[in-house]
Amino acid sequence: MKDKFLINIVPGDTFLHKLSGSTKVRLFVVLLVFITMSFDLRLILPVFVLTLIGVISAKPNWKQVKVIMSVVIFFNLLNIFLFYVANPTVGEYWCNQLTIIGQLNNYFVFPVETFWYLFVRLIKMLTNFMVSLWFITTITPSEFAAGLYSLGVPYKVCTVVSLGFRYIPDIARDYENIKISMQLRGVEMDAKRTKISERLKQMVLILVPLIITSFDRVQTIANGMDLRGYGRNKKRTYYCEHESTNADKIFQFLTLLLFIFSIGYIMGVNIWPPQTNMWCPIDWR
Amino acid sequence: MKKSLGSLLLGKWDTPTVVAVAIGAALFGVLMNYGSITVFTNTRLTTAMLVPVIVGGLFGALPAAVACFFGNVFADLLGGWGYWFDWSTGNAVLGFLVGMLPVYGANIKEGKFDVKHAVIFAVIAVLANMVAFGVVTPIMTVLLYGGELTITFMQSFAASLSNITVLILAGIPLLYALAKRYAKGTNLSRE
Amino acid sequence: MKQPLIEFKDFTFRYKSQTEATLHDINLTIYEHQKVLILGASGSGKSTLAHCINGLIPFSFEGEIKGSCRVAGIETINASIFDLSKQVGTVLQDSDAQFVGLSVGEDIAFSLENENVLRKEMLTKVLDAATVVGMQDFLAAVPYRLSGGQKQKVSLAGVIHEDVQILLFDEPLASLDPAMGKTAIELIDDLYKLNQKTVLIIEHRLEDVLHRPIDRVILMDEGRIVADTTPDELLVSDLLLTYGIREPLYLSALKHAGCEVLASDGPCDVFTMDLSRFEDKLKAFEDRYVASIDKQFSQKLIEVNDVSFAYDKTKVLKNVSFDIHRGEKIAIIGKNGAGKSTMAKMLCGVIRPDEGQIRINQNDYLQMTIKELGEMIGYVMQNPNQMLVKDIIKDEVGLALKLRKMTDEQIDERVSEVLQICNLHSMRNWPVSAVSYGQRKRITIAAILALKPTVILLDEPTAGQDHRHYTEILSFLKELHETMNLTILFITHDMHLAIEYTDRAIVFADGECIRDDQVFRVLSDPDIIERANLKQTSLYSLAKRIGRTPEALIDQFITLERQGKR
Repeated sequence: MKDKFLINIVPGDTFLHKLSGSTKVRLFVVLLVFITMSFDLRLILPVFVLTLIGVISAKPNWKQVKVIMSVVIFFNLLNIFLFYVANPTVGEYWCNQLTIIGQLNNYFVFPVETFWYLFVRLIKMLTNFMVSLWFITTITPSEFAAGLYSLGVPYKVCTVVSLGFRYIPDIARDYENIKISMQLRGVEMDAKRTKISERLKQMVLILVPLIITSFDRVQTIANGMDLRGYGRNKKRTYYCEHESTNADKIFQFLTLLLFIFSIGYIMGVNIWPPQTNMWCPIDWR
Repeated sequence: MKKSLGSLLLGKWDTPTVVAVAIGAALFGVLMNYGSITVFTNTRLTTAMLVPVIVGGLFGALPAAVACFFGNVFADLLGGWGYWFDWSTGNAVLGFLVGMLPVYGANIKEGKFDVKHAVIFAVIAVLANMVAFGVVTPIMTVLLYGGELTITFMQSFAASLSNITVLILAGIPLLYALAKRYAKGTNLSRE
Repeated sequence: MKQPLIEFKDFTFRYKSQTEATLHDINLTIYEHQKVLILGASGSGKSTLAHCINGLIPFSFEGEIKGSCRVAGIETINASIFDLSKQVGTVLQDSDAQFVGLSVGEDIAFSLENENVLRKEMLTKVLDAATVVGMQDFLAAVPYRLSGGQKQKVSLAGVIHEDVQILLFDEPLASLDPAMGKTAIELIDDLYKLNQKTVLIIEHRLEDVLHRPIDRVILMDEGRIVADTTPDELLVSDLLLTYGIREPLYLSALKHAGCEVLASDGPCDVFTMDLSRFEDKLKAFEDRYVASIDKQFSQKLIEVNDVSFAYDKTKVLKNVSFDIHRGEKIAIIGKNGAGKSTMAKMLCGVIRPDEGQIRINQNDYLQMTIKELGEMIGYVMQNPNQMLVKDIIKDEVGLALKLRKMTDEQIDERVSEVLQICNLHSMRNWPVSAVSYGQRKRITIAAILALKPTVILLDEPTAGQDHRHYTEILSFLKELHETMNLTILFITHDMHLAIEYTDRAIVFADGECIRDDQVFRVLSDPDIIERANLKQTSLYSLAKRIGRTPEALIDQFITLERQGKR
């Protein structure tokens, strides 16, 4: 099971993989801000396309990505549908107008603006997913920690990321083993045969030993770290964090530009004057 | 030994705390991926939510919140659902609040968890979910993603309901079980 | 004159949580460039002594210190753990816990990262350290792909950057298989010789440590130093017996043969010790050899027939076949990843064969659910803490019955019967947390026996146990075997266990069953030993030295050990 994670522990060798942790974390954070701040398809679509190219270039495990993608697309479509059901005329709020091109009854009307809004929203959510996906498929947990540290996050918090990830496969293996031993003792794991309340009770049976043994090792691990000087200095360096290459410098520069643009956009468009309009390509009226 | 409220909330952040938070986050990620039952869109009935309770019980509320936040990040890294800061923040707030056990005198490591603590825990679990998913997450959703309040509330409601179910129906028995398992027996005599 | 490096003077230590001191009046001086074994059973205080040297006491473990402890001139009470870590490099027993990086390189770099060393310098230092332990080609490897021995090497590399004077190994053999243990001892010796370090080894497995020479042995018991001597002197004294340390096998064999070994014979190394006085007696001993008869078991219980299994297309079991009869005691042996755990999981029904069949008691195993199989085959995990759920002993033992919806009376009756057999009845209302590790193990066995299985499968039942606890657990199992006619399968790499307590060994390597035979024959086959990462027993070497066949000597030794336990 330890090979089935989406994130790679071993650094890959594509272009994006080779960027340093701080470059990737910065770009990721700025892209998240960028994608969150607007409902303008002209801004969102390029990011969608670029991150899609990024994911493809990283050669991820497609079998797994496909499963996750289809789940994400399904849930987002479902969400969009619910949005429509909740308020079919939501488009008026965003586009200041309503062009009804048909209706099922008095409530379920079909305004172009609502469909436009829902479409943009779907793309926005999918882009948000793609931004996460390129990040996950190109970074290692250690680079993630190093990147966070470079942003000024205290290293004790960064350690949570790398160290936590170090023990995930161990804990996952313990979980499997404990589950097996409980199954042999008579815990029924088959979803079809047990009620939810019953399954919760059985979960407790697995959790007690899992929690106790997991936290049992805390002191030993901490000893091993103290003996190697952890927590001694205010600063630390990272083995995995290589010096900036030219590609890193270019990316960091672009990230900075994007960041400045985002700040300007948020100040000028989102905060003042307060504006809820979104860009519509055509005036349907 | 009396500890100040501040240290109970913030934790000590020595090496064992860092390790425990990391292990807690790892446990959270594992349980989120393997130990959950899907009930509604975006909502899974998961025992992962019990992890911050334990981390809080052992190390304080802030460590619980951090473990919960990064646990969520791990679940995303493993499963790749994409980051949703509205939900991660809600979870961290929830982790902080349900991790406050030492503040009201429950101490799992010393076997202290009784009916009084269970009642307080249950009340906090309900309130914490109302705060986290009734206030924090919806506000964040609207601010960040311009969501529809009705739907956000529907999702929040489902999430809260499943969290409360897990926290109370599985959490209280778990806390009892752990407290008893950690308790040192006194006056043991062979029969 | 050599300089003293570690000096304990009237040193006493009590942990804050305990009422009695763990170390009493320690007076000990260790000089530069010595190689010292600190020997003792569990609870003798040897690990606490180690914590005092590397500074974990008082840094991580609070307590009361009296007297003085100086390490490399530093009084440890006043020193920070960080200053001491520049003098003492510690390799912990649990190499999985000490491995905190996500790759070999990262883990070796950990202390450098903490020292805020620039990455450029770090790379060369990491490579140098990795080269010392022979891991330079694995810098990018992830921990999950490494063997226990490799992880330990990485731990070692991670503590030698500072050019420490003292290397401290806390139970280096505990989680290694025999061949890896041997390599570890050789590596420690090479470091000692090449780099003029002072080496301290904390262990209870005397024979394995003595694979390479030791200058001095400190024997501890109940927090005191009870002997400070040379290995040769120690081996011929009765100290080992008194303090629960296992005697090397070749010495036991010599005693069986009626030889009286003296320190002057150099008994600490089977290859170099002077055997001239004993040769005749040993040969006579072997001449008395009567081949043991293969025990006959009539009732076939489990038939594994040409079974294969693959995880994601990698075959982990290839055409495995063997039979298990009722009442047999079998060792399942092989290095990590050889397929033995997969086989165990399969017998329990958690995974099912891709090809081939398994029949249990003449029934088709595919028709049985996991729950039903659980009533036939009980599985006892290595770490009892991973199995214990309930707080009270009798509830733990009754859990499986409760999950099977038996009535309370039925449960009570069955539970008290099992508790009687396992000698836990008087403790039935005790909390699980109050009992020792060995007793917890016993509780987990009781919890499995409550289902009245015909077979029990134990995963490494003796891992990390000292000789006393080892004997305790195994004689308990032996008793169960006799009273309940249980069939017992041990998954183990403990050769002593295999020799002393099993009838037969099934050896796995690379997913294949490479040998299925009596233990003494397995251990006399160099090819099998090599492929399964085992180690030749010293009996083998002893036999070779007097020019006899090892098989006979090993077999005879086993027979004698089983009859009398002297």
